[in-house]
Amino acid sequence: MNILPEGRRPRRLLTLTAVAASLALMTSACGGGGSESDDGVVELRYSWWGSDDRHSTLQQVIDVFEAQNSDIRIVADYTDWGSYWDKLATSTAAGDAPDIMMQEERYLREYGDRGALADLSEFGDHLDLSKVDPLVAESGNLDDKTYGIASGVNAYAVMADPKAFEAAGVELPDDSTWSWEDYVALSAEITEASGGDIVGTQSMSYNESGFQIFARQHGENLYNEDGTLGFSEDTLAAWFEITKELLDEGGQPSASESVEIEAGGPDQSVLSTNAGAMAHFWTNQLGGITEASGSDIELLRYPGETTGERTGMYFKPAMFYSVSAGSEHPEEAARFVDFMLNSNEAAELILSDLGLPANVDVRAQILSSLPPADERSAVFLSEVEGTIVDGNPPPPIGAGQVVEITKRVTDSMAFGDLTPQEAAEQWMSEVETATGSQ
Amino acid sequence: MSALLQRRPGAAPVSESSARPRRAKAGRGGTGRHKRENLAAYAFLAPWFVGLALITAGPLLASLYFSFTDYNLIGDHEFVGWANYERMLDDARLHSSLRVTFVYVFVSVPLQLAMALALAMVLDRGVRGLPLYRSVYYLPSLLGGSVAIAILWRQVFGAQGLVNQVLAVFGIQGEGWVSHPDHALSTLIVLNVWTFGAPMVIFLAGLRQIPAMYHEAAAVDGAGPVRRFWHITVPMLTPIIFFNLVLQIINAFQTFTQAFIVSGGTGGPSDSTLFYTLYLYQRGFGAFDMGYASAMAWLLLMIIGGFTAVNFLASKFWVFYGD
Repeated sequence: MNILPEGRRPRRLLTLTAVAASLALMTSACGGGGSESDDGVVELRYSWWGSDDRHSTLQQVIDVFEAQNSDIRIVADYTDWGSYWDKLATSTAAGDAPDIMMQEERYLREYGDRGALADLSEFGDHLDLSKVDPLVAESGNLDDKTYGIASGVNAYAVMADPKAFEAAGVELPDDSTWSWEDYVALSAEITEASGGDIVGTQSMSYNESGFQIFARQHGENLYNEDGTLGFSEDTLAAWFEITKELLDEGGQPSASESVEIEAGGPDQSVLSTNAGAMAHFWTNQLGGITEASGSDIELLRYPGETTGERTGMYFKPAMFYSVSAGSEHPEEAARFVDFMLNSNEAAELILSDLGLPANVDVRAQILSSLPPADERSAVFLSEVEGTIVDGNPPPPIGAGQVVEITKRVTDSMAFGDLTPQEAAEQWMSEVETATGSQ
Repeated sequence: MSALLQRRPGAAPVSESSARPRRAKAGRGGTGRHKRENLAAYAFLAPWFVGLALITAGPLLASLYFSFTDYNLIGDHEFVGWANYERMLDDARLHSSLRVTFVYVFVSVPLQLAMALALAMVLDRGVRGLPLYRSVYYLPSLLGGSVAIAILWRQVFGAQGLVNQVLAVFGIQGEGWVSHPDHALSTLIVLNVWTFGAPMVIFLAGLRQIPAMYHEAAAVDGAGPVRRFWHITVPMLTPIIFFNLVLQIINAFQTFTQAFIVSGGTGGPSDSTLFYTLYLYQRGFGAFDMGYASAMAWLLLMIIGGFTAVNFLASKFWVFYGD
């Protein structure tokens, strides 16, 4: 049966099909970008990483913003920490970056330097930056351009579960005097006293943020102003040596247990699963970990704060609000960032989940309404503030890769393939390659 | 598929040459009606051709170009000549990822094919409920590359996983298999062997093509099962073995999902599961080193192409096509 009529129809059919196919491909390639719909409402995409809790909170914030700004619609685009950066890199490469995105210290300059982010200081009326805490106000700057505004402040600290200490029959340490030797001895003691049911501490060397405190205690730092490494190999070796001792004396989980714990993120930390007494985290994670563990987790100052050359703890901008350089509606995006940063309505929902609010007025406003865990971290931060000597230079471009290098070198050392000295050597050479300081 | 699996005594597979003349005639033009039918065929093929050009060939050529640049995904890029390829010589992690990948390919593929052939032989003996068994054994092949199975694997071989719980019954205190550098790769090899269903179904079809009279004649002459296996089954099956070997080697070189999920994207612990494709992904999307990642993709293409070429050359010496 011939379903085609006679004549030149087939060729026309061919042409039509080809045109239809290419049109379909073209329209699908164009979709996804921010756009203005017929009713004059501007659509913006806002992306962030985090836990389920954060996703529902930020969705509520978006609802409040949309109720107040009927000309803007915000599309939420969220994922977990690990896949966030893969997704952001790919969408930015495709010219389809979200209009507004959360950034992090170690990635911000990578994007800013390559022209992917807008200069936020240029929005004047739309985005008020005058109330940002001076400690973090310029933390998102590079070459006199403001590529990110800190959402809040954070400190890296030791979290301790009083119930675990009690179960092991060991007293909580005095964090105004404890040394690194105390920390190692205490951890081993807890493991031993509990018969191995409760481990002293979670491995600390998977995150270079802790080493940064350690280096500062030695009068050094992780990075210099020019982005080169700011410490000696011996300092890093001494840092790895502490983990080695903890492994040898049973103060922390075995190498292979640590691999599994790390893979699980904060929800699988020894505190969250009630399997340990101490762990190292950022203060804004206290709420989540307290919830998972079911006990009132306390924050402790880092060991060695009073026994070293100087104190090492520091405030860090928890995250940054950034606007894509390719956004079609940068002014509307700036208005949303302004709302996130400066409005009490947003802060009352977010609380300290994105760090203790960077806007000092807003921070004062919400302090009274914080739930217990968030309040403890606020009090802790204000106590620590007086002991902080100075801020950190911004991490160099390529610092995002350091996350993975640190994990890998720590594993190799923990499994006995590298000595602490060799681990320090390898870490430094890999980081120098990644950050181009060699 | 079931038609394919019917035993056809003495039947030779339809060779391609018998199909060729008709196509050749149509290609030369022939009558107007043929022409019209061809045009219609091309029209229906058009979406596929467009897809091939834009989705496969386009990116393929683009990656060849990028492999000679310092493309970083976000900003501009410059031509850097052979620099990316030269860097490969000194990249210790690249070498370690090659080692991991080669071990994986050379251990898991032979094991998987042996397993597939063994089960195909058992099923070929006329087990009752054959379609059921065939489906059950085929199922892992469909699921093996999935995220869900990789997550399941991580649980089963975890410190508190099923494997250790079973071992504990026998008083053995097992470690976390996926989280120890000495064992992590083995668990992924086991996962690949477990997906033996696809080659098994092909082997089964191949076994059904072997004329029963060869076996009968050999049995009459006093050949035992082992001798018949080595002197009838294996030689008659060599084209199928060859086909499976080429396919599975190519598949194994491209393994990504399982390693990515089981190691949480790190290739850890200590790079013990850092497959070549996983490292390529890390360079491209983690380190914004897309120029280098593109060069790595071309090296992989050359490695796979090389192995396939060697396979085809060597096949002249051991594959028996029965003519």
